[in-house]
Amino acid sequence: MTMNDLPLHGIRVLDLSWIIAGPTSTRFLAGMGAEVIKVGSARRPDPSTGSPPFQAYNQSKSYCSLNISDPKGLELVKQLLAISDVVIENFAVGVIERLGLSYDVVRAQRPDIIMVSSSGTGHTGPDKDYVAYGSLLQHYTGWNSISGNPQGEPVAGGLWADPWVGMELAMVTAAALNNRALTGQGQYVDFSMAEALSAALPGAILDYQMNDREPELMGNRDALYAPHGVYHCAGPDRWVAIAVTNDEEWNALCGLIQRPELGADPRFANLEGRRKYQDELDAAISQWTIQYEDYDATILLQEAGVPSGPSLDISRVFNEPQLRDSGYLKPLKMRDGELRDLPGLPWRFDGGDGPDLTEAPVLGQHNEYVYQELLGLSLDETNRLIEEQAIY
Amino acid sequence: MAAGLLPGVRVLDVGQGISAPYCAKILAHMGAEVIKVEPPEGDMARRIGPFPGDTPHPEKSGLFLALNINKYGVSLDLASTDGANALKRLVADVDIVIENPPPDALEAHGLGYETLKSINPGLIFTSITPFGNRGPYKDFKATDLVIHHMSGHAQGLLGAVEDPDSNPPIRAGGHQADLVGGMAAATATLMALYRKRMTGKGSRIDISSFEAMVNQHISGLAGSAYGRPAPPRDLAKVQEAASGGNVSAIGGILPCKDGYVAVSPREDVQWERWLVIMGNPEWATDDRYTTRDARQRNSPSLWKLLSEWSSNYSKHEIARWGQEQRIPCFAVNTVLDLLHDEHLAQREFFVELNHPEAGTLKYPGAAYRFSHAKLPLAARPAPLLGEHNRSILENLA
Repeated sequence: MTMNDLPLHGIRVLDLSWIIAGPTSTRFLAGMGAEVIKVGSARRPDPSTGSPPFQAYNQSKSYCSLNISDPKGLELVKQLLAISDVVIENFAVGVIERLGLSYDVVRAQRPDIIMVSSSGTGHTGPDKDYVAYGSLLQHYTGWNSISGNPQGEPVAGGLWADPWVGMELAMVTAAALNNRALTGQGQYVDFSMAEALSAALPGAILDYQMNDREPELMGNRDALYAPHGVYHCAGPDRWVAIAVTNDEEWNALCGLIQRPELGADPRFANLEGRRKYQDELDAAISQWTIQYEDYDATILLQEAGVPSGPSLDISRVFNEPQLRDSGYLKPLKMRDGELRDLPGLPWRFDGGDGPDLTEAPVLGQHNEYVYQELLGLSLDETNRLIEEQAIY
Repeated sequence: MAAGLLPGVRVLDVGQGISAPYCAKILAHMGAEVIKVEPPEGDMARRIGPFPGDTPHPEKSGLFLALNINKYGVSLDLASTDGANALKRLVADVDIVIENPPPDALEAHGLGYETLKSINPGLIFTSITPFGNRGPYKDFKATDLVIHHMSGHAQGLLGAVEDPDSNPPIRAGGHQADLVGGMAAATATLMALYRKRMTGKGSRIDISSFEAMVNQHISGLAGSAYGRPAPPRDLAKVQEAASGGNVSAIGGILPCKDGYVAVSPREDVQWERWLVIMGNPEWATDDRYTTRDARQRNSPSLWKLLSEWSSNYSKHEIARWGQEQRIPCFAVNTVLDLLHDEHLAQREFFVELNHPEAGTLKYPGAAYRFSHAKLPLAARPAPLLGEHNRSILENLA
């Protein structure tokens, strides 16, 4: 796709967000052709500044420095709102109003603007002021309670809330843009990170109502399919994941591991039987997998038609040839002179490569563009605002 | 107030299972008219639980019911001439087709993208597969389990463990990888719909669930691009990594009388307020815990001390004390907690729907409220198999 062909070409997004979820959402919009102007200040630097993740969260954006707490800075924000289609913020509840940028003020600058406000627990309700980190919020949402080993405690890890919400905020923005194109109507969007995760647990929520029970923790096992798990391969902490979903795959697996007697055993001939005897089957499969490297086992299993793959840590994910051949990780020459493979967007349009994303900016890199070109300030006016620490 | 955001937008959901139906459900929530096309034996999700009393029933799968709210349903045998022709007539009149085929399912029936595009040149065609249509794994078979493990998400879920070789990485519950594929598809599809509105152009969109899950890890990928090692899974190596600055701030879950509480008093000011909540215990003056850096380095022993204290109280008690002191602190909620949560109730998060076979149930709604549109979150329950065959198929031109 050429730049003009990107779906959000012509849309301008004022990005007041910070930390992870908000910047992740505007990254999607920027990659799809929107002009994203990130607003930040040296007074309160975005926490990821200077670290590798900042590079990923802020690809393809412009970045101006602006002190919103200063009255003249606030005036600049209002001028930027007047020429923006979308504004996104994820401050703690109440902050955007205290800054003087409630939805009423925002839409006075631009009546059809789409204002997306994201917070931990949403902007109404008794717990709206709860302070939240994404990793903790996951526990409140029930997300961590549906995973774990049998009889184990809720899982401690998992980085889920921020990336999930980042994508969902981009989705919601795209939906609102469609509505504006159809009807001319702008929107204020009240988004709750917690609800985003709770909404993704329909099975557990309906199971409770149907059967009066909390989710059964199953580790890698499945309520329907068996064998279903990870199996130790050659080398420390090396595993291959295998999921047998039907009789055909079961027979193929028995053939591959040279255990035809298992394939012929009527006890294992259907899903129910394989679920019932899966301890026994897991032991047999492990005797085979332990002889192979995880990738080698995967190739053999896939050739036999059995769903499978290695259990990878992030370094090994990063080295995956699939991610380069599919055009997701692309090399970029960066301002420090290094060539690095950086992530793209998880979709392809019309058989092409994903869009080329540009390097994340540094604070103030686009001040001249934003203040002089877009807002039409003179160099003198700009310098005065810098001196007064409104542009800061 | 307007009903939904997508008046007049029509979608054909030819998907089965989770990812494509979830994508189509999001569009239905946003106000599109979605027609679900099932094979005569029904969507495979009708065979996946939960079921009342664990008794499989095609109209009572909780998963199917939740993923297909607000859709109309028709059943078609695409292998038959009549079925294929009916699909073509449906395609002529929609904006979007969504599928998640085993490789080339629509294609195998002569109903691939090129054919459908010749019927409807402005069509948006969204296809979700495990690995997309490019690269060495494009023909690999994968499931939610496999994608969780290959995308790196299984490695971090348990946190650090004492013996990695006897405590393997696990997947998250609840089909999360399939849902992420569906969410990515909905996001890309809505962007394509916007382009169509502005330019008249259709799109072919390819989604790899693997890539969508990997993309949930962009912070880790960026670290790798800068040569950072993966976080260790071996507890013994965590301390080592912590002193090298590779483990993030302290935080996690503590046992309580009635469950667990999640807390992270990571900043010094938060830590001081947290000590007050705990009644300023003597051990807090130990050099191992007086600075943020030291607490991070000694987090395994620190966590034991915190657990001894927390075990005396209830999870909601501790969460309230923490939040009163502006410390991120949350009860680890069970499903029962969610269903009775006052905050969610006031926000009307759950919606109630009556289904002719499954009865009245509460479903999770959406994470978003729009100021100038009321979303049709509970317009109709999931369709019975072939429920709208008569009203929709018999009216086809």
